[in-house]
Amino acid sequence: MNRGALVRKLVYGLLILALLLPLSYFSQPATVAVGNQPNQAGSPGGKLAQLRTQYGISEANLGEIDAAGETIKLATLGLRGVAANILWEKANTAKMKEDWEGMRAALDQLSKLEPHFVIVWRYQAWNVSYNISVEFDDYRQRYFWIKEGIKYLQQGTRYNELEPRLIYDVGWFTAHKMGVADEKKEFRELFRVDDDEEFPAHDRQLRRQDRRDNWLVGQEYFEQAIALVEDREASIHAMNPFVFFSQPAMCQIDYAVALEEDGVFEEKARLGWTDAYDRWIKYGMREVPTSDNLIVRLAEEEAVQERKAKVIAQLEAVEPGLRDKIAGEKRSKLPPEVRAALDTPPESRTEEEHQLVYGASMSILVLHDEVAKRVEKSHREQAQKLAAEANRLEVLENVIHRDRDVVNYNYWRNRCKMEKTESALEARRLIYQAKTDYDLARLVPAQQEYEEAFRHWRKTVDEFPQFIDDTIGAESIHQALAGYADVLKQLNTHIPRDFVLKDVLFSAVRRNPTGMDLDFIRESFEGDPGLRPPGMPPR
Amino acid sequence: MQSQAVALDAPIAAEAPVGTDVVIETRNLSKIYRDFWGRQKVRALKALDLVVRRGEIFGLLGPNGSGKTTTIKLLLGLLFPTSGQALVFGKEASDVTKNERIGYLPEESYLYKFLNAEETLDFYGRLFDMPADVRRQRTAELIHLVKLDWAKQRQLKEYSKGMTRRIGLAQALINDPELIVLDEPTTGLDPIGCREMKDLILELRDRGKTVLMCSHLLADVQDVCDRIAILHQGELKELGRVDSLLKIRDVTEIRASGLNDAAKEEIRSVIARHNGQLVSMDNPTSTLEELFLSIVQDSEARPGRRARVEG
Amino acid sequence: MIIENEFPPYFEWLLAAGLTPGALWIWLLTNFLLLVAGLLGSFIFLTVRHGPAKSGDLIFKALAGVTDDVVHTSPRRVYALARLAVQEALRRRVLVGFMLFILILLFAGWFLDPGRTDPAKLYLGFVINATSYLVLFLALVLSAFSLPADLQSKTIYTVVTKPVRPSEVVLGRTLGFAAVSTGLLLVMGLFSYVFVVRTLDHAHTLTADDLAPKAPTEKGLVPPNKTGTTARHRHVIKPDQIELLAQEGHAETEPEQGHYHEITAVSRDGETEYRLGPPLGQLRARVPVYGTLMFRDRGGKPAEKGINVGNEWTYHSYIEGGSPAAGIWKFTGVTRDGFPNGIVLELSIRVFRTFKGTIDQPVLGSITLRNPTKPNEPITLKNFRAAEYAIDRHEIPAQFKDANGREIDLFRDVVSDDGELEIEIRCLERSQFYGLARPSVYLLRREGTPWINFAKGYVAIWLQMLLVTAFGVMWSTFLNGPVAMLATLGSIVGGFFVSFLQNLALNKSLGGGPVESVLRISQQKNLTEQLETDVTSAVAVMLDKILRIPLFVVSRILPNFQELNDVNYVADGYNISGDLLAIHLTTGLGYFIPVMLLGFLFFKLREVAK
Repeated sequence: MNRGALVRKLVYGLLILALLLPLSYFSQPATVAVGNQPNQAGSPGGKLAQLRTQYGISEANLGEIDAAGETIKLATLGLRGVAANILWEKANTAKMKEDWEGMRAALDQLSKLEPHFVIVWRYQAWNVSYNISVEFDDYRQRYFWIKEGIKYLQQGTRYNELEPRLIYDVGWFTAHKMGVADEKKEFRELFRVDDDEEFPAHDRQLRRQDRRDNWLVGQEYFEQAIALVEDREASIHAMNPFVFFSQPAMCQIDYAVALEEDGVFEEKARLGWTDAYDRWIKYGMREVPTSDNLIVRLAEEEAVQERKAKVIAQLEAVEPGLRDKIAGEKRSKLPPEVRAALDTPPESRTEEEHQLVYGASMSILVLHDEVAKRVEKSHREQAQKLAAEANRLEVLENVIHRDRDVVNYNYWRNRCKMEKTESALEARRLIYQAKTDYDLARLVPAQQEYEEAFRHWRKTVDEFPQFIDDTIGAESIHQALAGYADVLKQLNTHIPRDFVLKDVLFSAVRRNPTGMDLDFIRESFEGDPGLRPPGMPPR
Repeated sequence: MQSQAVALDAPIAAEAPVGTDVVIETRNLSKIYRDFWGRQKVRALKALDLVVRRGEIFGLLGPNGSGKTTTIKLLLGLLFPTSGQALVFGKEASDVTKNERIGYLPEESYLYKFLNAEETLDFYGRLFDMPADVRRQRTAELIHLVKLDWAKQRQLKEYSKGMTRRIGLAQALINDPELIVLDEPTTGLDPIGCREMKDLILELRDRGKTVLMCSHLLADVQDVCDRIAILHQGELKELGRVDSLLKIRDVTEIRASGLNDAAKEEIRSVIARHNGQLVSMDNPTSTLEELFLSIVQDSEARPGRRARVEG
Repeated sequence: MIIENEFPPYFEWLLAAGLTPGALWIWLLTNFLLLVAGLLGSFIFLTVRHGPAKSGDLIFKALAGVTDDVVHTSPRRVYALARLAVQEALRRRVLVGFMLFILILLFAGWFLDPGRTDPAKLYLGFVINATSYLVLFLALVLSAFSLPADLQSKTIYTVVTKPVRPSEVVLGRTLGFAAVSTGLLLVMGLFSYVFVVRTLDHAHTLTADDLAPKAPTEKGLVPPNKTGTTARHRHVIKPDQIELLAQEGHAETEPEQGHYHEITAVSRDGETEYRLGPPLGQLRARVPVYGTLMFRDRGGKPAEKGINVGNEWTYHSYIEGGSPAAGIWKFTGVTRDGFPNGIVLELSIRVFRTFKGTIDQPVLGSITLRNPTKPNEPITLKNFRAAEYAIDRHEIPAQFKDANGREIDLFRDVVSDDGELEIEIRCLERSQFYGLARPSVYLLRREGTPWINFAKGYVAIWLQMLLVTAFGVMWSTFLNGPVAMLATLGSIVGGFFVSFLQNLALNKSLGGGPVESVLRISQQKNLTEQLETDVTSAVAVMLDKILRIPLFVVSRILPNFQELNDVNYVADGYNISGDLLAIHLTTGLGYFIPVMLLGFLFFKLREVAK
């Protein structure tokens, strides 16, 4: 009996040892190199430590272990998932019951328990900055809770140093949550004078007074996130890379807009916009890998188009008229009613004919490969090469075009180019000046400044006609037009019939009648044929 | 079986010591241990009938697992009988008020090791609802009686086995009981300790106490017990006065030498004719030990029967 | 503070409050039903084994035995056994628990962030919760393992062979362990209080530079004067206070993180030094007088409730601004003797904006006082800006001028002769809403002593501990140590989730009962997804239906540990009223008695030896 017990104990002991050995091999922590002794270089540690390093979740270097987190993990006795679940539920309940501090405490515990669960950080930080902050009536408290969310994210970046999405979010919250909200004026001002030492996004020790702008700080974070991807090959996972890489430039644009809204012009605004334009162009030159396994530069769409045209022309030149011939053959195979529909000019086609044309569009398409195949044998190889190249360029062009749409590439490029012109800058300045004068009841100077501003704007839209129908940046011009109308009303006159920005005004009326005194505009342009564009409500 | 037992008890009862007070009585006392699912595991005690009278030292004898301790536990109410009754001072064993008059020394002294001797006795004194001054007096007396004055401030965990035994006895006597139940009183004691214990038991008897003890040490029983009951495998195998048990046995013993096989056969037939039973024709048995061993052998050969060694 | 479970005055609670029957009757009924069920169950069980006559006899004997035991319980024996339990506990486990507690306090800094908006609440909540978990755990271990250990080591033999009744063994243990835990709780409480006071204590530096006027920023904003940073915060000092400091030598900082400091200017060697006192107003024990709340809807008609603005949590009821909608609190017992210096009114209301409105101004509201006997003579006290998630203090002196400048005597003109007063809160901004609940508005009767309130908070922990001990001892009378501990743990965990269990039992829980939940997990369906219409689902739903019966019973029997918890009162700085304390104590006793009786019975029915 005693011998049996002894044997059993020995077997247990050996088993424990057998389990401990690989465990110690796997979990041996990494050590940091000590001072300048070359033979004391830090070891990479066991397998687990190496994996941690590889995935950038390596807070467990000896000496920088987060004791609290480790304690909590231990205290759950392996029921970490259950504990995390309970905490999550607790946070949700606390949020429901408006116990914000309780929720924040639960979040802290949660993140100590599951520090590498990036979704938790992102989701809950969003919860705090976006959902909790709006519960408060006092905008200073709203600002405080936005900051809480940012602080929470930054805590997350310390645990997940190779996670660009968290830093990206820090940038996003700092830039957009502060800078786009209805309270942006107040938030930006609070941000500027914030002396919270616990708010790393602000970091007043290191940042110059004039750099303490939420857009610029956000920009820095976006750049950090990009640096992680560039230098340390971190993954942005399912995030759209074009959106991801566009952020620093977008921040610059928003910064420049914000400057002008704050009434800062002259050199600073010019520099702001010039920088924005440069950054946007640079962004266009960046090589970005797409989901189609292509590497793309947004700026290259025109160049690709040009090259494609050239290649197609070469292909045509191999055996001129071949493409038309093939097209003719394809067409002749179609049923007569379809051919008839095709022959009808598009504007006079019936609904039925439209459908027929649509159905036939694929069958009359002549592919480059088809052309190349029919080329005379001696030139066929060359033609096939050209066709392949044309196809490749076509795909590339489509991809670039699609991705340009995602980030509105063309618009922002033109906008920056437009805004940095002297006339645009001057127009913006004058409008701001006019608004200020109007608020101070200086009506005549306001009218003069508005008209001067509109002359400058005329110059701008002549140069950049696409901004007549601008949808994104037009709000300020629309407001200016409405403000101008107000000034004139008070001065008891009307908008001159030869108003320099008549087209812009009518476009604005077409788009967005709210805030504009339509009656007043109608009075001013009684009988003008452009006055009743589609969409304008009748009298 | 029942009638047999009654018939056997009759002469013994006549030989019981003077004094008619019955202190312990068991009637058809049985105990079956069951497992978690209620299935029968062990029949630890089978239909035991016993009477212990005031002023005697009664010994329960048997090998390990024979049911002696079970009997004692049933009598003390630590176990509940499966069937039958255990009466102490005429009360059901489960009635705690009987404990006022009982002192119990368990097999090993199950005491709180973190108390010292005085605290121990004081604690048990409180359990008898004794007033403080009585407790103090009894504690001092008993510590003196078991000769532990020199160690009364030491925690029991520092005590040797003999010392623990003695303090165990002291706690059993704290209430000056009328009935003292001793489970293996001499185990773990050195020869001198054994002697002292036995003297103490006899002294208690002389003071009019009734003593029920169980032991597997035959010498102890032989030395001090007035009557014994021998148990084996949960059954009562023998019951009677120690001296008469041994005497009767002497009489029925056949001792001879130089007999041939034919003569042996003849003797067997003579015994058979007288409805007797040949137990042994070997060397003579003269001690309780021999009696005991023969009962055990008999019982193992023919389980379920009351031993008939006297014939 | 949020009081979700309001409680009536003690005797109303005990006997009857309106239509709801008193707790006493419910208690009696529950116990009676349980007794009947128990008797019936054991009768059926025993009849199967022994036949009806014997089983009736057995049951009668058991009941008579327990009654006899209870009647004959001797205080001296109980005391002896309790003392033994104390000695055992002291020699075995308690000190470890205490060391653990000290360790936790030492390392509390890791877990607690002194930079939170209300550190006092955080710290108080932490120490109380830490103490309660530790003490409960200790009570659990002590109580569940002791009897089984005694049975294992057979020391119990020498005890039960004395004239000791099972009831005395059970009661003695329970009281002994409770005494140990009580002692421990006292010490922990003391340490906790000292810990909280000491950790919260701090001062800030303040130099003449800090008080000098600041240069405006480029936008023309003048940054406020602030003290130095300690405990991760700074206090603003307003210009009028700086002036006061210069003239009279003392002033106050603005509150931050729930406290403020007093500043004194001291001249030394011709130079002025500024000293900040300890943090003030951090630990409080407000004694509120709550009124009854009635609403008026936007049409001016009386209503039970206001509007739900779409919150999942319906605690606050909302009134619309710019309409006659109002919340009207009626207070009684407002007398000149009770409030010699006038009334202090404290508001904690919510704001809900349907549009952003004026961003930099909180929503405007009004406070109106009314004598209930003269409903047509309202006196507008003042208009105020809502202070959300804060306690907004308004003083109404015995004599004051109303919003129109009239001289008003509070007790003569506003309060009725029998001490009744109505206070009406309205929101004045159109399409903005105020959220109100009964405890949102109260009269502050006086400030209680924080440490006494702290101690009262510990009474609730003490009661929890007592119940855990009782449950532990009860289970350990017939289960072995680990199983008894699990059973007790189950009782506690169940006790913490009583309301959840009740929801489950009444089928109010999303996602169905336990079997359905398992099914959902295995099929990866969320709570609201429709179950498939197959046999498995039907069986699962049916099994849950059956399971609801035991769940219902369990949810009705287990003590609600969540309700036995007053940590919020202490942490939020509100006095725990005598009524609440009495209700807790009675509830505790209500559980203690039947659990003990069960323990007696179980221990009596078991065989002590093996």
